[in-house]
Amino acid sequence: MWEPQELGTVRSHLSDFKKHRAARIDHYVVEVNKLIIRLEKLTAFDRANTESVKIRAIEKAVVPWVNDQDVPFCPDCGNKFSIRNRRHHCRLCGSIMCKKCMELISLPLANKLTSASKDSLSTFTSPSQSPNSVHGSRRGSISSMSSVSSVLDEKDDDRIRCCTHCKDTLLKREQQIDEKEHTPDIVKLYEKLRICMEKADQKAPEYIRIAASLNAGETTYSLEHANDLRLEVQKVYELIDALSKKILTLDLNQDPPPHPNTLRLQRMIRYSATLFVQEKLLGLMSLPTKEQFEELKKKRKQDLEQKRTIERQAALESRRGLEERQSGLASRAANGEVTSLRRGSAPLRKAEGWLPLSEGQGQSEDPDPLLQQIHNITSFIRQAKAAGRTDEVRTLQENLRQLQDEYDQQQTEKAIELSRRQAEEEDLQREQLQMLCQREWEREQELFRVASLHTRTRSLDFREVAPFQLEPSRGPRTHLAYALDLGSSPVQGSSAPETPTPGLAPAPIHMWSGPPALGQELLPQSTMSQQSDISSLNPFDEEDLSSPTEEGAASPALEAFLGPPAAVPREYNPFEEDAEEEEAALGVRNPFTDPDSPAPNPFDEDDQPQPRPLSPPAPGNPFEECICTNPFEVDSDSGTEAEEHIEEDLLLQQIDNIKAYIFDAKQCGRLDEVEVLTENLRELKCTLAKQKGGS
Amino acid sequence: MNVVFAVKQYISKMIEDSGPGMKVLLMDKETTGIVSMVYTQSEILQKEVYLFERIDSQNREIMKHLKAICFLRPTKENVDYLIQELRRPKYSIYFIYFSNVISKSDVKSLAEADEQEVVAEVQEFYGDYIAVNPHLFSLNILGCCQGRNWDPTQLSRTTQGLTALLLSLKKCPMIRYQLSSEAAKRLAECVKQVITKEYELFEFRRTEVPPLLLILDRCDDAITPLLNQWTYQAMVHELLGINNSRIDLSRVPGISKDLREVVLSAENDEFYANNMYLNFAEIGSNIKNLMEDFQKKKPKEQQKLESIADMKAFVENYPQFKKMSGTVSKHVTVVGELSRLVSERNLLEVSEVEQELACQNDHSSALQNVKRLLQNPKVTELDAARIVMLYALHYERHSSNSLPGLIMDLRNKGVSEKYRKLVSAVVEYGGKRVRGSDLFSPKDAVAITKQFLKGLKGVENVYTQHQPFLHETLDHLIKGKLKENLYPYLGPSTLRDRPQDIIVFVIGGATYEEALTVYNLNRTTPGVRIVLGGTTVHNTKSFLEEVLASGLHSRSRESSQATSRTASRR
Repeated sequence: MWEPQELGTVRSHLSDFKKHRAARIDHYVVEVNKLIIRLEKLTAFDRANTESVKIRAIEKAVVPWVNDQDVPFCPDCGNKFSIRNRRHHCRLCGSIMCKKCMELISLPLANKLTSASKDSLSTFTSPSQSPNSVHGSRRGSISSMSSVSSVLDEKDDDRIRCCTHCKDTLLKREQQIDEKEHTPDIVKLYEKLRICMEKADQKAPEYIRIAASLNAGETTYSLEHANDLRLEVQKVYELIDALSKKILTLDLNQDPPPHPNTLRLQRMIRYSATLFVQEKLLGLMSLPTKEQFEELKKKRKQDLEQKRTIERQAALESRRGLEERQSGLASRAANGEVTSLRRGSAPLRKAEGWLPLSEGQGQSEDPDPLLQQIHNITSFIRQAKAAGRTDEVRTLQENLRQLQDEYDQQQTEKAIELSRRQAEEEDLQREQLQMLCQREWEREQELFRVASLHTRTRSLDFREVAPFQLEPSRGPRTHLAYALDLGSSPVQGSSAPETPTPGLAPAPIHMWSGPPALGQELLPQSTMSQQSDISSLNPFDEEDLSSPTEEGAASPALEAFLGPPAAVPREYNPFEEDAEEEEAALGVRNPFTDPDSPAPNPFDEDDQPQPRPLSPPAPGNPFEECICTNPFEVDSDSGTEAEEHIEEDLLLQQIDNIKAYIFDAKQCGRLDEVEVLTENLRELKCTLAKQKGGS
Repeated sequence: MNVVFAVKQYISKMIEDSGPGMKVLLMDKETTGIVSMVYTQSEILQKEVYLFERIDSQNREIMKHLKAICFLRPTKENVDYLIQELRRPKYSIYFIYFSNVISKSDVKSLAEADEQEVVAEVQEFYGDYIAVNPHLFSLNILGCCQGRNWDPTQLSRTTQGLTALLLSLKKCPMIRYQLSSEAAKRLAECVKQVITKEYELFEFRRTEVPPLLLILDRCDDAITPLLNQWTYQAMVHELLGINNSRIDLSRVPGISKDLREVVLSAENDEFYANNMYLNFAEIGSNIKNLMEDFQKKKPKEQQKLESIADMKAFVENYPQFKKMSGTVSKHVTVVGELSRLVSERNLLEVSEVEQELACQNDHSSALQNVKRLLQNPKVTELDAARIVMLYALHYERHSSNSLPGLIMDLRNKGVSEKYRKLVSAVVEYGGKRVRGSDLFSPKDAVAITKQFLKGLKGVENVYTQHQPFLHETLDHLIKGKLKENLYPYLGPSTLRDRPQDIIVFVIGGATYEEALTVYNLNRTTPGVRIVLGGTTVHNTKSFLEEVLASGLHSRSRESSQATSRTASRR
């Protein structure tokens, strides 16, 4: 009933406000700075060891003292000055007041004020100051005689006299300085709390999605991974709980007790954290146990099969119409080739037997509206991911999955129908083929088909294999499973169309590598294969058990098609702009610098003087530097391996440093320090030796 | 044209613009109400606003680790408080939002006070009204008029509220007003004046059909606020009183501690949102369903949590369960109290007579019923008085008017003098002489036929026969039939087409029954969007206070005022 509504009218007075304030602030800043500069001058010399007459001279040089005769009454309290009630001068502004109204500034305070503003303020206004002080020295000397009497009994060597106004201004300034430097505990804790909350906000939806998928018996994600993620999320919640509890009890036992508002703030933060945890944590659904999961999987498989057979039967009838239309299309020149090729390929795939569930899945090369939709959604997911909107990504993925199911089913039905008719039709098709096909074109078709076939295999394999092989590390797997989910889908979609338009082509590629240029002229399938072939940048390749052979099949074909030079310069692209998660995935999952691989690994050139660790997870991991910034790396095996090596470097560096310190300390004769440092050095050397022995 | 959303958007924007970190919301008395209508505490806590302070509160501690969002009305006192605040800032940074137009000189004096440069934002966000429902707003002003004329301070507050509403909805309307009311004309002029003065603010994208602001006066329909109500929201307000979504239940016998005061807000109470416009009988059955649903989810006492799975399931369902239990106990209590009051005060019978008085024209039967009710000891003072008031309003000029006799009956019943005097005051407030249109007898042929048919068929529900007069007015307005001699345009231009966006404002307060009417019109007339506002939202009690505050209760003064008024009109 309510249409979308934009924000109501607003009007800003900020520029007006700033204009007025600037005028005022200039004045204020000048005042403060004036005082501080004078204070600096007053404290610049050693007061304790200077004669009081000299001090007086310096003081009068800083600011002109008001003439005693001009001020018969104290301007603050109104009392008459007399022999008893004597005049006192403010050393900062030169004004006169009585003893009662006089304030004192201690030297530490003065130092604090002057040192804090040395960098920023004093430089700003000092030029305007100089004429004033010159003027002051002259005036000061005139009035000096009359106040000589007051000099005699003043022994405030370590304090500076000033009036209340100047002291007020300076105290305000001090407060500002304090606030700038001081971060209360509650802020530190609160910042930690917010970071945890953000993390929880990121992880929880992901977990819920995975758990929902697992509970439905799907095999998109691995159960172990989900369990780990659950633990992780729970830990974050525990941390939130602990932090907020700490905030709640902050300073509670202090004397005097904190202001009620502080307590209220602490309570509110705790309350909101509790709400947060309650809402999110208790919404986390539980995971099935392993046995349950197996059962769920079985059940789902049965359900799916049941559904499929039912739909197949229903579809057999309804497909006839479509089939007739298709054969009509087939008789037309252009489309005829397409159909004929497709039909030819159906039994071939069956024979290969690597599509266990459905015998002809995803074969249609027709510009199907479903495919169109799948493409659109793939690119939407990419955009949504880039924008970091996980909710949308989730819904879209759900959509995509449904579409793919639908599409698969449709394709299955078509394939069945087709294979049944194939025998009768084959002759006719052949004729047409010969008449219409040009050989060059045909070869290309063959290439695409091969390429698409093998990407398909891999993507399917991954669903099963990848999650289980990744057990040792927890963090990256989150992303991995994610990437797999995303990744496998677009491949299915993208492998299908025969002649992708440029608009469609980049979509799947982005999922892996990012640079849009890559896919622009290339067909998606070939790009995929190329990537995997050359440096296995594609995370899907490593786990692909059958990949060597398939790649072997694919790459020559590719080279024939693309030419090898095109491939090499392109390799860098994906990694230069790579997404963080992919790096993580790669780093951990060992981007198999396959010794047999003929392709040069561009990352070998990275300066990596250390011999590669022996452990398989991170052989020659060329990404160590980038990975170090990755928070997930800490958990992974390869990460610790890498860390040790860096540490060795650090150790050496540290040893050098300490040697330098020792030398320095010896020079200055600080023997105790030398001792401590030598001790330190010895320890470091020990560690180094141990490590060397170990490796 | 959703007023709740409009205000909520303003508040969200303020909070968003201040960035991450702990925040305190600094408000005045009125803006506290405005914010509380659109945001719940837990909702606003999620946006890192942890403290809510009043600008006039002296006991505020220095907390430099907090950011302050100030949402204030641009009054003199608030500006002074703010100047003091800025001289000695208690928080690290200030984001200042005024709910209405602030003068340049005030901005200047604020700027001069900000010596420590703590102010990061100074803006006008026009959330200067209480958003009650998406299509209903109020200004919470009780007693806006003295006699027949505006109390000057209330006039300026009302003008501010109304212009803020227009700005928050981005509407620059044409204005029509009720001719028979001097106050309506005055308000229309004031609004127009502001629009002219702040023409830069009111420059919106032109719509095909300009929006329309219709200003009415409560005195044209004094019947509606005198009737007992039977839809949920209206009934709660009539019998318990809703004050900024809050309901005071402390007088309910045997009330538990945490239900002393409950909040009924459609924004975050699904049951309320679904049922606020339903009538009492339907709510009864809905609350029964709610209970049953709840019972199903409720973990049984005897059903022990034996396995870990049981416990897990319980814990996982617990938050929903707890939320639901809060909703259930709240509504059960409210509805229970309503039905207790209905039977205690014999409201069904009273309401039947009220509806007869409001909707039918049979004097003798009405009089008989009124007399009968006045004899009933269960009928309260207030109900007795309101029946007599309704009688007085309807049969004011009837040949056999027996009002004096009824007032005698009231006295015999022991009704206090205050109420007896109010009978005449109400007649003075909303009697025939004042009304610009006829409340009771239908004028055109269609209406007469309608009423005739109604009489034949019998009414579906005797307790909800009454349609507020506003319904007819709006109906005519939508159809383009609203007479220009009764509701003239302010200024020379008139609306050619049927209006699409309509803002109706009732001086002297709207009612929830009228809000229901507007809600239904919005639902049933496609392409038309109506927002209803009033100086306040009345129930019978507050309406009588309004009448009392207008000072029209003494006969002697009344006559002199009446003559002066007629004189001034000429």
